[in-house]
Amino acid sequence: MELQDTYYNKSEYVETASGNKVSRQTVLCGSQNIVLHGKVIVQSDAIIRGDLANVKTGRFCIISKGSVIRPPFKKFSKGVAFFPLQMGDHVFVGENTVVNAAVVGSYVYIGKNVVIGRRCVLKDCCMIEDNSVLPAETVVPSFARYSGSPARLITTLPEATPDLMTEFTKSYYQHFLPTTVQ
Amino acid sequence: MAYLTQPDYVKYICSCGQLKPITSLYFCRHCLKIRCGFCICHEVDSHYCANCLENMPSSEARLKKNRCSSCFDCPSCFHTLSTRATMAQPRQTPQDPAGGDTKVESKQPKKMYYLSCFNCRWTSRDVGIPDQPVASGGWPERTNPFAARVNQLLDYYKAIALQEKQEKIERERKKFTIRGKYITLTDKTGLTGAMARNIAGLPSSDSSCSAIANFVPSQASAEVEELPEDYYTKEVNLNQITSMPQRLASPEWQPVSVSRLHPLAKLLSVKRSQRCRVCDHNLTKPEYNPGSIKFKIELLAYYHVPEVKIISHEPVKAGEKTALLLKLTNPTGHEMQIKLLQPEDLPPPEEKEEPKSIEKSLEKSLNLEKDTSSYKAIEREPQYSVTSRVTSPPTALTLAQRDDAAEYDDDAQHDTTE
Repeated sequence: MELQDTYYNKSEYVETASGNKVSRQTVLCGSQNIVLHGKVIVQSDAIIRGDLANVKTGRFCIISKGSVIRPPFKKFSKGVAFFPLQMGDHVFVGENTVVNAAVVGSYVYIGKNVVIGRRCVLKDCCMIEDNSVLPAETVVPSFARYSGSPARLITTLPEATPDLMTEFTKSYYQHFLPTTVQ
Repeated sequence: MAYLTQPDYVKYICSCGQLKPITSLYFCRHCLKIRCGFCICHEVDSHYCANCLENMPSSEARLKKNRCSSCFDCPSCFHTLSTRATMAQPRQTPQDPAGGDTKVESKQPKKMYYLSCFNCRWTSRDVGIPDQPVASGGWPERTNPFAARVNQLLDYYKAIALQEKQEKIERERKKFTIRGKYITLTDKTGLTGAMARNIAGLPSSDSSCSAIANFVPSQASAEVEELPEDYYTKEVNLNQITSMPQRLASPEWQPVSVSRLHPLAKLLSVKRSQRCRVCDHNLTKPEYNPGSIKFKIELLAYYHVPEVKIISHEPVKAGEKTALLLKLTNPTGHEMQIKLLQPEDLPPPEEKEEPKSIEKSLEKSLNLEKDTSSYKAIEREPQYSVTSRVTSPPTALTLAQRDDAAEYDDDAQHDTTE
């Protein structure tokens, strides 16, 4: 099934020179620490906590409505330290999802209402299904599909996942259109 | 990815008659046939731990029962355990023979490590495993109380298997004793010690004989320990009793109470390669590195077979015509001719003659070639039901080759966005 067009209010979104589309209804704390590498969509009510540590995303990332991207912290004997959060290319983060991961690889699909615990490492090409909870410091290997609470490996992904994910995020970007077109 | 989040709307017929989405299909370049997971050979390429992403050679994996030596799973919720560090002030315990040098050491705190589950808060201290001075490894390994007996049984059955194999070889050899030339053939192709002994007429190795001779079969006894007096009257605290999955996770011990749950060594994952059963060519072969998502060989249907997507459809009503809008994509670098067929026009699976020669059957009988008859894929008629008549365009469609430069065309993109 081909993706349907999603329309947004043109006045609500800011489009940068590199093609990022960021909603004005988002909370971007410490915007000097946030790097969006181009063609990234940040939808309304998303929160990116750049004030805690650097947040970097690759190209063609989709951060859906109400999701929270928050760098993880680690407790030491002398207090806490925050770690930068890196995200690869072609990552989809579903609605109302909280991402506290240390590293999110490329071609990762995170469903909606998911909690990714502190300092998780999501390798390239993995999928977290809707309504899952990934406890802190979990490593999700490549081509794994995790689900449940605590999320566990349920099946593997097809070998063509990188291309499927590339096509998905690219077509999502192409179908994300301002309402004034119509 | 829409394929993974949506139901499988469009299904393809595999050459074995299965209906599968395009993502789970392979395309053999040598047979020019679509293959699916049911009609190919899955082979284990390498073992690795999903947590520490370290490779383990298959011989070592077998020795360690396919478990990682440094990562553990929580015995209570099966999530991966994390190593936590604490600063421990080494105490001078009364039973510890306190020497002069230990007193000096005890002044500064030492870093000690324990395992903890971040999901259910289980720790290795709960079951009384002492903290470790090193971050990874060194955790006490428990031995099965019946390990000796299990090993004895293993040796016994291995010896029996070896004996039976030798007897079989003996029988096979007798069949072909007239033709001396085949023995020289086995000579050249690598001869096992057992075969050499067989040919020379010597008795088989002593070790296997002794394993069979020394074996003591277990004795059944009618006397069973009596149940404790309070077995039926004692109140059961379900919080203290392990669940069935928890028990089955460690089959050697099967702990009854939660105080005896020990960390489980993490099971290894495998990288698989796929092989066509008909022509024995590789369909996929992943790179060795467990963190890599690249493939050395990747013959997927997604890269060779035209992709069909449903753009829009109308609700189907009885006795009325409805339109179905399809999008066909050509993923290859060559022009493609596509003709839409009626379901009844589908070509039936073709019958094949198995090439059979005398040489081949001889080779088979000499065990030089492994018996592949069980690996053969069976072709079946696809099973699907047709509930409507399809009117398709009668002409063949031509799909142009994939244009890799299209996405870099800035003008085209501006046209779509503005």
